[in-house]
Amino acid sequence: MAISSIYHHERCILRIDGSLTIYEAGEAKRRLMDELNLAREVEVDLAGVAELDTAGIQLLLMLKREAARQEKPLFFHGHSKAVLAVVDLYNMAGVFGDPVVLAGGAG
Amino acid sequence: MNLEAAKLVFYEESYELLAAMEAALLAVENAAGPERGEHLNAMFRAAHTIKGSAGLFGLNEIVAFTHLCESVLDKAREGELAITTPLIELLFTCRDHIGGMVDAVRCGVAAPESSALGAQLKSYLDDTAQAVPAPAAAAMVVQQEHAGPRVEVESGGDHVVSSDHWHISLRFGVDVLRNGMDPISFIRYLASLGRIAYLTTLYDGLPNPEDMDPESCYLGFEIEFQAAPNVDKLTIENVFEFIRDDSKVRILPPHAHIAEYIRLIKDMPEGMSRLGEILVRGGALTPMELDEVLGIQRENAGAGEHRPLGTLLVEERLAPPQAVAAALDKQREHAAQKTREHRVVRVDATRLDALIDLVGELVISGAAAQLSASRSADSALIETIASLGELVERIRDEALSLRMVPVGEIFSRFPRVVRDASRELGKDIQLELAGEETELDKSMVDKLADPLVHLVRNAIDHGIEGSDARRIRGKADYGTVWLNAYHESGSVVIEVGDDGGGMDRQRIRNRAVERGLIQADEVLNDQQVLQLVFEPGFSTAETVTNLSGRGVGMDVVKRNIEALKGNIEIDSVAGEGTVVRLRVPLTLAIIDGFRVGVGQVSFVIPLDMVLECLDLPTDTGNSRQHYLNLRGEVLPYLPLRELFEVDAPAPARQSVVVVQYGSQRAGLVVDNLEGELQAVIKPLGQLFRGVRGLAGSTILGSGAVALILDVPDLINRAAKNERRKVALIAAREARHPALREEDRP
Amino acid sequence: MAAADSKKTVLIVDDSTSLRQVVHLALLQAGYEVIEAADGKEGLARLDGRRVHLIISDVNMPNMDGIAFVRAVKQLPDYRFTPIIMLTTEAQEDKKIEGQMAGAKAWVVKPFQPEQMLRAVSKLILP
Repeated sequence: MAISSIYHHERCILRIDGSLTIYEAGEAKRRLMDELNLAREVEVDLAGVAELDTAGIQLLLMLKREAARQEKPLFFHGHSKAVLAVVDLYNMAGVFGDPVVLAGGAG
Repeated sequence: MNLEAAKLVFYEESYELLAAMEAALLAVENAAGPERGEHLNAMFRAAHTIKGSAGLFGLNEIVAFTHLCESVLDKAREGELAITTPLIELLFTCRDHIGGMVDAVRCGVAAPESSALGAQLKSYLDDTAQAVPAPAAAAMVVQQEHAGPRVEVESGGDHVVSSDHWHISLRFGVDVLRNGMDPISFIRYLASLGRIAYLTTLYDGLPNPEDMDPESCYLGFEIEFQAAPNVDKLTIENVFEFIRDDSKVRILPPHAHIAEYIRLIKDMPEGMSRLGEILVRGGALTPMELDEVLGIQRENAGAGEHRPLGTLLVEERLAPPQAVAAALDKQREHAAQKTREHRVVRVDATRLDALIDLVGELVISGAAAQLSASRSADSALIETIASLGELVERIRDEALSLRMVPVGEIFSRFPRVVRDASRELGKDIQLELAGEETELDKSMVDKLADPLVHLVRNAIDHGIEGSDARRIRGKADYGTVWLNAYHESGSVVIEVGDDGGGMDRQRIRNRAVERGLIQADEVLNDQQVLQLVFEPGFSTAETVTNLSGRGVGMDVVKRNIEALKGNIEIDSVAGEGTVVRLRVPLTLAIIDGFRVGVGQVSFVIPLDMVLECLDLPTDTGNSRQHYLNLRGEVLPYLPLRELFEVDAPAPARQSVVVVQYGSQRAGLVVDNLEGELQAVIKPLGQLFRGVRGLAGSTILGSGAVALILDVPDLINRAAKNERRKVALIAAREARHPALREEDRP
Repeated sequence: MAAADSKKTVLIVDDSTSLRQVVHLALLQAGYEVIEAADGKEGLARLDGRRVHLIISDVNMPNMDGIAFVRAVKQLPDYRFTPIIMLTTEAQEDKKIEGQMAGAKAWVVKPFQPEQMLRAVSKLILP
């Protein structure tokens, strides 16, 4: 797993590559939270996610909920095949599917 | 499935739960601290269980109302709601209301209006809902919105079972991911057994980031699953076998399957007596689910709480309520086969009656066989038939004892009655119960309840004095009312006593004269004076409040008791209190009797009431007075020949059977004494209906019909004759003192 | 675990060669990669950095028995979350529980048909 971040001003583009599974979950949680705390707005690029399990999707859920709590806009995009498979199975397209501005006012 | 039969169980269960709820309410009123919490829990469970069972039968009004009660009780036990007197009053009213709703269902009438009470309950919910988040209340609102007016309830409360899909509810254990068990895999595997029609992922269990362990699982799923053919509950359960220990898996079958379970359960062979076994055999429950629920039951039992398996199964959503009901039905069919685990077996009362009817036939046939055997003079046969007769007698006793229930069943309602009455009247009353274990016939129990309530209320209203009067008499400020039950020679005696002011004989006499019940100069013994309060029209409501005696509706009490072939006795000591003694027969079905003959007619006298037999002295045989001198006592007697207009000449020698009922005695004059027998009481035929002095008929071994005498009625008549005669004598004596000696027997 | 296009790898650890082979064949036909080991020690040696999605392990084996093997796997950072199927017998209920305590939450009771093994495997990982 690799998580990289690119900042345009305070807008952060987070890119997750490789596996996002229980093996990486501890490390991934720290990275994702750090970036979220830094950024004002986050775009999560899921195109490089090669493997995703339940621990992984829980992290994405956590990120989304925490962004909403901090009132920071957060988007998911570029869902890879691996991500789509889990999102479909869990019927969570409404949560992760279309890029949606989550936090208040930023639409 | 016989839904009606299952409903009967529901009524029984509901009444039991309501009784428990009432006991708990009374206890809460008098308790504090942790003890109170336990009682609140008990009330909550009662409401919750009634709700769950009512849902089984689609009794939506009961479900909706008990749900409100449950929510309020939940808040109360969580300490979010103060236990105030108005709240306790409201809960009492609600308890009664639920009882009323159950009654209404039972009688097939419209349920009593709930909206006013419901609104009061809601006001308790709203008050706290603003201060404290109320998940229960919120969930309820959501559920109602989704379900619309047709609340198809099952007691978990979360889901509505629908359509032809299986509903699978999964709550994964927190460690499953660490164990390499990913829900994704299980759900995919499930999909290979059919089609996942709809899946909802529940992630509200996901904590805040700081509390979240990224290796833990926080998800739950609700799945609508369309199974491939031949996929049964066990197959579905096996999908989750590796996570079963740590996770919660609930599998609810589609309606079509429920019908199938019910069919399988109904077709099951005889001999199945355990609910779990029946459900597992029918496919509605898997062995592992059974283990799980038995585990829960044990845990509950460990916590001092016994919950029926059926209730747990429905609550835990392990088996569809309809299947549980069918299985209960099946189980009842085999109720006779007691298992070690079922120490108490519910039996339909009508089935018991059928059994007792049959035993009655058996007794009659047995008597016939005995008769034939004795005619045959075959000693081996006579011996065999005799031992058979003994067995029949024991079977009869056992069968009758099945109908016996402890009188405590009625007594248990009195704490509430006393509480209510004492509040209403502003008197401080203490209730004492004794002899609760005394058994009597179930049908008696039902019929005694109302008269007893009446007597107890009356004792509180008119028996117990105000506290000022009590203090003057040197009594405790609080009055005591007691109920006591015991057996006495084939009868059950129930006493209602109080330590109040006692009955004022002079006032009773005066009132009776005023009401035209007796002549001013009528001579009455003490018991007869006291009994006047049972005369219809003795008193009316407005006069009674001024009277230190008793009155309201007592004639109704007497009528009810007499309808049970019982009687009432009163003991009252001025200034010390009153005891009203109800005496009713143990049973109405079979009696040990004493057979007597008059001409060609046979009569049967209940053996318990026979004191002794003697020859009728020839010199008094035709006397108009009908008195006997029995060892110095005056014994009124009735010649049965005259009474029942038996058209046959009297033999030279006649006998007197001395009978006793309560404290009264009388003699019955008969031609022959024919010995003891067991008499199966049959209702009187059309011909004899309305003839006084007869309690029923019975069939003799010879096939002939014998008439069973209504001894209490006969004694009463003999006593009335005596009373009339004594009055007559007294009147004559006043005018012609010289006649006195002659008229004395 | 989802999506990786490559085949899933299963490690079978059992001292019976024939059993390993039967299982190997069945899993192969179902679309899994299979690697074999004859005991716990050899099993640990197979966990050399390659990706393993599932482990099947017998309980009674020479050198290192199944329970010790499971405990050891649970200590390996790269393999500690691997699902493990224990092969138990009806008579070894205590071993099954011991295995579960150690972290092997799935089980298949010997003797078993290849299809039974396939079903157990596919509940945990799909090929």
